[in-house]
Amino acid sequence: MGQLIISIGREFGSGGHEIAEKLAKHYDLPLYDHNLLDKIAEERNLNSEELKSYDEVQDGVFHRRVRGMSSSMTEHVAQLQFDYLKEKANAGESFVVVGRCSETVLKDNKGLIAIFVNGDKEQKVARVSKKYELSESQAADLMKKKDRARKMYHNINCDSKWGDSRNYELVVNSSKLGVDKSVQMLIQYIDARVANR
Amino acid sequence: MAQAFAIIIFLAMFILIIMDKWPKQYVTLGCALLTLILVFGVGMHSMDAVIETLNVKSIFTQGFWYTGGQASETSSGINWETIVFLAGMMIMVEGMAHVGFFRWLCMRIAKLVKYKVISIFLTFMVLSFVLAMFIDSITVILFLAAVTVELSQLLKFNPVPMILSEVFCANLGGSATMCGDPPNIIIGTSLGYSFSDFLGHTGVIAIVCLFVILLYFYLIFKKELSDNGADSIDTASLPSPESAIVSKKGFIVSTVIFLLAVVLLVSHASTGLTVSCIGTFIAIITLITSGKNALTLIKKIDYHTLLFFIGLFVVVGGLEQTGVLVLLANLIGKICGGNLYLMIAIIIWVSAVASAFIDNIPFAATMIPVINSLAATQGVDLSILAWSLAMGTDIGGSATPIGASANVVGVATAAKSGHIIKWGRYCKAMVPATVIVMIIATIMICVRYVH
Repeated sequence: MGQLIISIGREFGSGGHEIAEKLAKHYDLPLYDHNLLDKIAEERNLNSEELKSYDEVQDGVFHRRVRGMSSSMTEHVAQLQFDYLKEKANAGESFVVVGRCSETVLKDNKGLIAIFVNGDKEQKVARVSKKYELSESQAADLMKKKDRARKMYHNINCDSKWGDSRNYELVVNSSKLGVDKSVQMLIQYIDARVANR
Repeated sequence: MAQAFAIIIFLAMFILIIMDKWPKQYVTLGCALLTLILVFGVGMHSMDAVIETLNVKSIFTQGFWYTGGQASETSSGINWETIVFLAGMMIMVEGMAHVGFFRWLCMRIAKLVKYKVISIFLTFMVLSFVLAMFIDSITVILFLAAVTVELSQLLKFNPVPMILSEVFCANLGGSATMCGDPPNIIIGTSLGYSFSDFLGHTGVIAIVCLFVILLYFYLIFKKELSDNGADSIDTASLPSPESAIVSKKGFIVSTVIFLLAVVLLVSHASTGLTVSCIGTFIAIITLITSGKNALTLIKKIDYHTLLFFIGLFVVVGGLEQTGVLVLLANLIGKICGGNLYLMIAIIIWVSAVASAFIDNIPFAATMIPVINSLAATQGVDLSILAWSLAMGTDIGGSATPIGASANVVGVATAAKSGHIIKWGRYCKAMVPATVIVMIIATIMICVRYVH
């Protein structure tokens, strides 16, 4: 099959992570999400919880740059993950990765298939509300907060905009077909793409 | 109207520097342009103010290069002596880095203390202090922190305590001499103080503080650093210091040039050579001896910082020419009511608190005309205020991760290797250290100079 890297960008509550899990299971590939920091921490004997507190979050105001070096921890945690992903990709590994600007970081890799999953607000609120046991308004607030942070994180680290269809091969609205049928459709597309290489 | 323009431009510059949205040299140069147009042009209709602030003619005076043993003249506007000296030192430091000097020095010391973590910790703090007396603290931490991370991986210890201590000592060492920290260079060249003037005043305070700080960091970090796997490491397998040297000939030459720079700086009050003359001379011999690498060294000069300084001096010149800083000085004078103790305390502590959050260079540049005016109107010895300002701005910056350039470089070097230094973690160790040094400095200045 050759190298296959599936990058899944997602809106909060769209089921993008679940889709990534199912694709990873189907193709028997490792899934990299927030566990990426666990792996980095384990390999380098670092504190993974400390790293995770700066993962895909909005950057604080009080930081400064000197000769290109930044005091922003969010920026460094992001860069650690980007470097790790590039290392894996350059070593020829196949994997599924959720977020982490992977569609931009790995865009030069020929094995990359970049997908963005979004959804309708109602379905997303219902999913978040059920998963985190929140009221609808609380779920909507959480969604807004998480998406704002992801957008900021992405747009600070990449030249392209978060969710802009031009960055991805496919943009899927998971609310239309549901998670399972969206996964089936994606598998068909990925198989066709791999066969067409 | 000119005063209002000058204040608005100055505040806008500060806010934009803090926001860090654009490179800070663009901010200061943009604000400098506005100062020239709005303050000197529209507000003052004064071409003389423009000429005085641009200060180009000072470069062509004898006093810029040689003072014949006299204190150099005080001038306002762009401090070209600082710019030329910094450019010269940047070339020398790049030359030293290019041949592997700093890495060799760090590895050599680590080997000398037999790779014992606590011994490395203590010696690296002293090394950081001593190097920062002569070289900019960014370069010192750039190399020291990188070697610390490398050693931490080999000797299995947490590099964060060591990097924090090195950063603090670099800032402390920078306060000891005229060329250690940019505020001191500006204070020295603007007010006509020599390298030995600084060494005999702020240097004494810094050395006393170093002993206290060594003890402080040892006590707070001892446990954390003792908990390592160094005993099981075969030190023979560690990289030899000599492996850091890129060119043996280049290494010897750059070491000689560095020692020559130290001798020239230490003796410049008696030789009459100004720091701009020394900086130019050192740069020229570095370039001549580096042969075909000369162009690379010139390209590596941090032009951004030099442009930042030029813009900054013009904006502060706007405040100076319109008399805003005299008003500020009068206000401080009024608050103090002739009480020199209070004046020293205000200058040290306000400078320290301000420098903990904002860049200490613009702060120092702004305060120099203020203390100059204060000394003239209140009949106070200017040097007392100068040493207070130097200690406040140099040390206050250590308190937060964004207070001084060395802090940012240290924190970034640690984070690059995955060692996160949160604000809380940083301040918990560094704020008490800063307060300790500020208290010692305040007491020493009051006891020594106020009679």
